[in-house]
Amino acid sequence: MADSIVLKPQFDDAEQERVASDLGIWVFLATEILFFGALFAAYTITRIRYPEAFAVASRLTNITLGSINTGVLLTSSLTMALGVRSAKLGARTALIGWMCVTVVLGIAFLAIKSTEYYLDYTGHLVPALDFAHAGVHSGPIEIFFYMYFFMTGVHSIHMLVAICLVCVLIAMAWRRSFSPEYFTPVELGGLYWHLVDIVWIFLYPLLYLVSRS
Amino acid sequence: MIRHPVAATRTYVLVWVVLMILLTLTLGSAYIPLGSLNTVINLGIAVAKALLVMLFFMHLRSGHPVLRIFASAGFFWLALLIGLSLTDFLTR
Amino acid sequence: MPVRATYLNAGFSLWSWLSTHDHKRIAILYTISVTLFFFIGGAAATIIRLTLISPSGDLVSAETYNKLFTIHGVVMVWFFLIPSIPATLGNFLVPLMIGARDMAFPRLNLTSWYIYVLGGLFTIGAMIAGGADTGWTFYTPFSTMFSNSRVIAAVAGVFVVGFSSILTGLNFIVTIHKMRAPGMTWFRLPLFIWTMYATSIILVLATPVLAMTLALIVFERLLGVGVFDPALGGDPLLFQHLFWFYSHPAVYVMVLPAMGVASEIITCFSRKNIFGYRTMAFCILAIAVIGFLVWGHHMFVSGQSVYAGMVFSALSFLVSVPSAIKVFNWTATLYKGSIAFDAPMLYALGFVGLFMIGGMTGLFLASLALDVHLHDTYFVIAHFHYIMVGGSVMAFLGGIHYWWPKITGRIYPDRWARFAALTIFVGFNLTFFPQFILGYLGMPRRYHQYPPEFQVWNILSSAGASILAVGYLLPLGYLAWSLRYGARAGPNPWRAKGLEWQTPSPPPTDNFAATPVVTEGPYAYSATAAAHG
Repeated sequence: MADSIVLKPQFDDAEQERVASDLGIWVFLATEILFFGALFAAYTITRIRYPEAFAVASRLTNITLGSINTGVLLTSSLTMALGVRSAKLGARTALIGWMCVTVVLGIAFLAIKSTEYYLDYTGHLVPALDFAHAGVHSGPIEIFFYMYFFMTGVHSIHMLVAICLVCVLIAMAWRRSFSPEYFTPVELGGLYWHLVDIVWIFLYPLLYLVSRS
Repeated sequence: MIRHPVAATRTYVLVWVVLMILLTLTLGSAYIPLGSLNTVINLGIAVAKALLVMLFFMHLRSGHPVLRIFASAGFFWLALLIGLSLTDFLTR
Repeated sequence: MPVRATYLNAGFSLWSWLSTHDHKRIAILYTISVTLFFFIGGAAATIIRLTLISPSGDLVSAETYNKLFTIHGVVMVWFFLIPSIPATLGNFLVPLMIGARDMAFPRLNLTSWYIYVLGGLFTIGAMIAGGADTGWTFYTPFSTMFSNSRVIAAVAGVFVVGFSSILTGLNFIVTIHKMRAPGMTWFRLPLFIWTMYATSIILVLATPVLAMTLALIVFERLLGVGVFDPALGGDPLLFQHLFWFYSHPAVYVMVLPAMGVASEIITCFSRKNIFGYRTMAFCILAIAVIGFLVWGHHMFVSGQSVYAGMVFSALSFLVSVPSAIKVFNWTATLYKGSIAFDAPMLYALGFVGLFMIGGMTGLFLASLALDVHLHDTYFVIAHFHYIMVGGSVMAFLGGIHYWWPKITGRIYPDRWARFAALTIFVGFNLTFFPQFILGYLGMPRRYHQYPPEFQVWNILSSAGASILAVGYLLPLGYLAWSLRYGARAGPNPWRAKGLEWQTPSPPPTDNFAATPVVTEGPYAYSATAAAHG
């Protein structure tokens, strides 16, 4: 039963364990910001050097699918947050329900992204594969798409990990591992999910909205 | 028993509504020719969205100050990386 | 008589060690691994110094020479220096010094060691498969486009081991924030803990950037296109900015823990409180933060804008200030102290002096006009070896000797230890001081051949290296001897302050019989009391 939580021996009490886990996950999230940050830095610097090329390239991205995906991901953050809330209240069915919806939205995101990748491929926008863009900017445009695939690719890997984590949480919730006194894994999983959302919040304007007017 | 502040469902849904409005704004304003202001607006909206997610969905608003420090540190250090690198790239 | 339960006799099987959650055992696992890598990196250095005895440098081929200095750098930086003090002494001492039973995340701690081992296997594999010849800095476009060596394998090893650093840093940060004993306020923490904290901040914020930068190299090399490719409009300098954003703070990862060790040893063996505790703590943080702002000083002659060069030069001068303050404060701590010259103190004093020389020569290099002449010469090599070897390695050895009785429960033979310390000091200076002269005279680094007029200095340097090698081998001998035959140590053989000395040697698995309550600062020594014995 969820009441008999085994306190790990290095901790004095459950509160210490909770604050330690919270701080731990936030330190980890800070590392993720810098992990993605290196790519954002490379993107920013290259864009400053080739503003027109990046404008042309950005117009070749699929704004419809990109925007829908942004909406999907923001909504999944809502459902995940509501899931964490349910965990705090001990509402097991609601917790499982919200997390299932979150997973579905996450899978939808990846499905839409895959479709988008396929469309990019048929549009000859994949560097090193059969990239074909004539014109004076073709070099930096190829770099744009290199960064586009790299950044969204790394993001998608994180998305996959997040989906797997939430599935594990669903299984744990099913086995009654959580209670209002102990729901730390749900909280940590939620924070990771939101981080993946925040990365996309910044990717979206930088990749899709550079020059739409 | 440990009591953690539990926000109402309404709060979360309200935040989501604002996020969707911001998404519409950023997408819509991209089609209005405003020159470099477009980028400023888009990034500003992105920052606003991120703040909403961090403060409300990630509970930073009610969390321990140390958490807010580490959350900011990540972005601040990224700003250092980009900013100081630009002292090179902008002055060549 | 029943044997007292310690962390060492809580299980004798190999599995009990490989599956341990005890931070003290993990520290020992790390100590064995980093020592192994130290001697691998040292072997590469040995061949390098043998090659450089003759100006024709034909002991090995040019390609092999490139691979030797690459493996020397990669191994020494990532598999020895960066983990050395934090993962060995840090892992052992952090919970003890703050009065905790273990780290916040013991299983994560063990995981970080396994990740280290995995990274090490990748790197050794890369070496066996032929090695990389790019230098430990992997500059593009050579690494991405033109090198015909095992770049991806070597980079993979570094990528993996980076996560070990990140997890160690994360564990330290949370442990120091949340697991301190009652009464252990921030300003009662030993300075060693402050340095572990600052080092951890650097590790978690800088290493992820390196990881992604290495990933960018791998994909650019695999795909033939990338963001560093000049043909597409990319900029190789972008790589250097990203690389040095991590690699400069990394050198503070290498030196801050050494400074922490020095503060612990100097206070104990002067029987005095540290001079200016709060200043020392703030300087530690200042070094960590400002250390992130100076990376462009590695790129003064790379094609970077001269205005950026000026900014980075000014900031590099700024970062020397807190380091200098620390040297002044150690000196002031020694002043009117009751000084004992045990082996740990010899290492700590050596650290202060050699770090000072290394640091001052850093100012030469931070000056734009001088760096034009000194960049990529042996002056740079001498500068960073004075800090990393004369500084960090000596402090590491000092720490190993100082805490040896606590870790092993044994006393090592003092005469041998002092002899080794002096041998290392002499050997080190003979190896690296001539390199300042070589750099000043214009000998470039990473060259296996040189003009004959440089030979005398190279011979002196290689002779010094042979003495240094003896000095490094000696502790392997007498420390191992002490494990079996050394006198048993009591809880506090040095009569030192600090919570780690309030528990038996070696400590029990849970560190303390009862959670300590802290009522005083970390260095409540009294010189007068010591003088009276």
